Amino acid sequence: MKRSRIIVRELTKTFRDDGREVAAVQGASFEIHDGEFVALVGPSGCGKSTILNMIGGLVTPTAGGVEIDGVRVAGRAPRQVGYVFQKDTVFPWRTVARNIAVGLEYRGVARAEQERRVREAIGLAGLAGFEEAFPATLSGGMRQRVALMRTLVVEPQILLMDEPFGALDTHTKINLHVELLALWGARHQTVVFVTHDLSEAITLADRIVVMTRRPGRVKMIHDVQLARPRDVIKLRETDAYAHEYGALWHVLGEEFAERA
Amino acid sequence: MSDRARVWLWRLAILIVLLVAWEWLTGIKAISRTPGLYWIDPFFVSRPSLILKRFAHLASDQVRLSIWQMALSTVQSTVWGFLVGVSTGFAAGLLLGRNERLASIFEPYIIAFNSLPRIALVPLITMIFGFGLLAKIVLAWTIVFFIVFFNTFQGARSVDADLIHSARFLGGTDRQIMRSVIVPSALAWTFASLTPSISFALIGVVVGEFLGGESGGGLGYLIIQSLGTLNAADMMVALIALGVIGIAMALGIKQIEKRLLRWRPEYRSRT
Repeated sequence: MKRSRIIVRELTKTFRDDGREVAAVQGASFEIHDGEFVALVGPSGCGKSTILNMIGGLVTPTAGGVEIDGVRVAGRAPRQVGYVFQKDTVFPWRTVARNIAVGLEYRGVARAEQERRVREAIGLAGLAGFEEAFPATLSGGMRQRVALMRTLVVEPQILLMDEPFGALDTHTKINLHVELLALWGARHQTVVFVTHDLSEAITLADRIVVMTRRPGRVKMIHDVQLARPRDVIKLRETDAYAHEYGALWHVLGEEFAERA
Repeated sequence: MSDRARVWLWRLAILIVLLVAWEWLTGIKAISRTPGLYWIDPFFVSRPSLILKRFAHLASDQVRLSIWQMALSTVQSTVWGFLVGVSTGFAAGLLLGRNERLASIFEPYIIAFNSLPRIALVPLITMIFGFGLLAKIVLAWTIVFFIVFFNTFQGARSVDADLIHSARFLGGTDRQIMRSVIVPSALAWTFASLTPSISFALIGVVVGEFLGGESGGGLGYLIIQSLGTLNAADMMVALIALGVIGIAMALGIKQIEKRLLRWRPEYRSRT
């Protein structure tokens, strides 16, 4: 049994809305092991992003808490955590190369080493030739690649991803799945990946935490029985994939149905 | 012919038509042989040929204070007032824009001071700083500071929170985030205020020169002096010089802006 890196315990978050207390997340608990890829899925508004934000220390829980490597998260996120946002957070005033270098700059990595690692990252992300381009000239998919490489280049052991490919078209999304799995396969970071896209969750994750609709509770934790390495494109044609999808769709479907 | 050349040709044509009309209309009399009755009286608006003559005179070394010295004095005060105003306004805007508490403490003072008509301050500034260069710089500063301050303040407040979070996750300290996220993000707003700032700096300086007398010098002094001698030609020389200075400064700022904001799509060189 691998050790737990992230422990989410009885996590609850209520917001004040129009003077009323609204519960976004209600007593969610789960653990994530070292090197594990976990997806958080659920209907929109179920608080999955709120949970991720609490893990990252961006949002303070109303009750319960999060431990990362045995240390309770309070305010600022620990140094071993990287975060990829759904929104475009690439700095528009920096070129691609300088964007990828920014975390290394912050950490005081020597110039030559910065350049070497940035070059490597640009190669891995297929961004060669765009080193000196400003983000405004890139497509959404390329910008998100820059955001991903910028996070990975500082080598976080834990990666929090909030619907990072949510705004991309299917084709670009699948390409990025291939790249993400290849990068993850090399380093086996511990990943928490929030998405509302069930196929994305099955393609990428070892385990899937299914949330109920608001207030979000953990409905089920599902082990994905698909061997690795996975071929993102061929995977979708297999019976095993269809089986996984069917089982999860049934559970999620109950959540959608109750809403109506 | 390219579009650009066509535009320039039109500009030139308008200038020539204006000058010729000006020269001609101030040269013919409305009623023949009656002295002083012109279609347009050159006593008030002068004539291009006369202005050119006066310019040559003012540019020569026959005068104690040449047009070059006066223009230099105006430009110097304007540039200094502008630089001091932009740097203090930018620093104050960043500081208050990123600090809610300070911003709410200072808000009434800033609004009160900014709603003072700056012209009302001229006598006081003159009393404190005398009639020289310094008074003109201070006057320009009181105007430029607030323009730049308000823009930078807005810019610093509207920095995308997710950019800051993202920088924090990449290991940025508060200081590093200020330099690498907040300053570049606010700069786009600050730059929007620079072109009006330079015009207002020029206004402040000229108003200062109206009052400043010979020791302050400058084109504003030339204008007031010409009023004293009812010399429209000299006044026109000063006005044209101010126009040229204004254009040159605005173009200079545009160039700096283009370079510093080259990451913005609207500044990318079109090829």
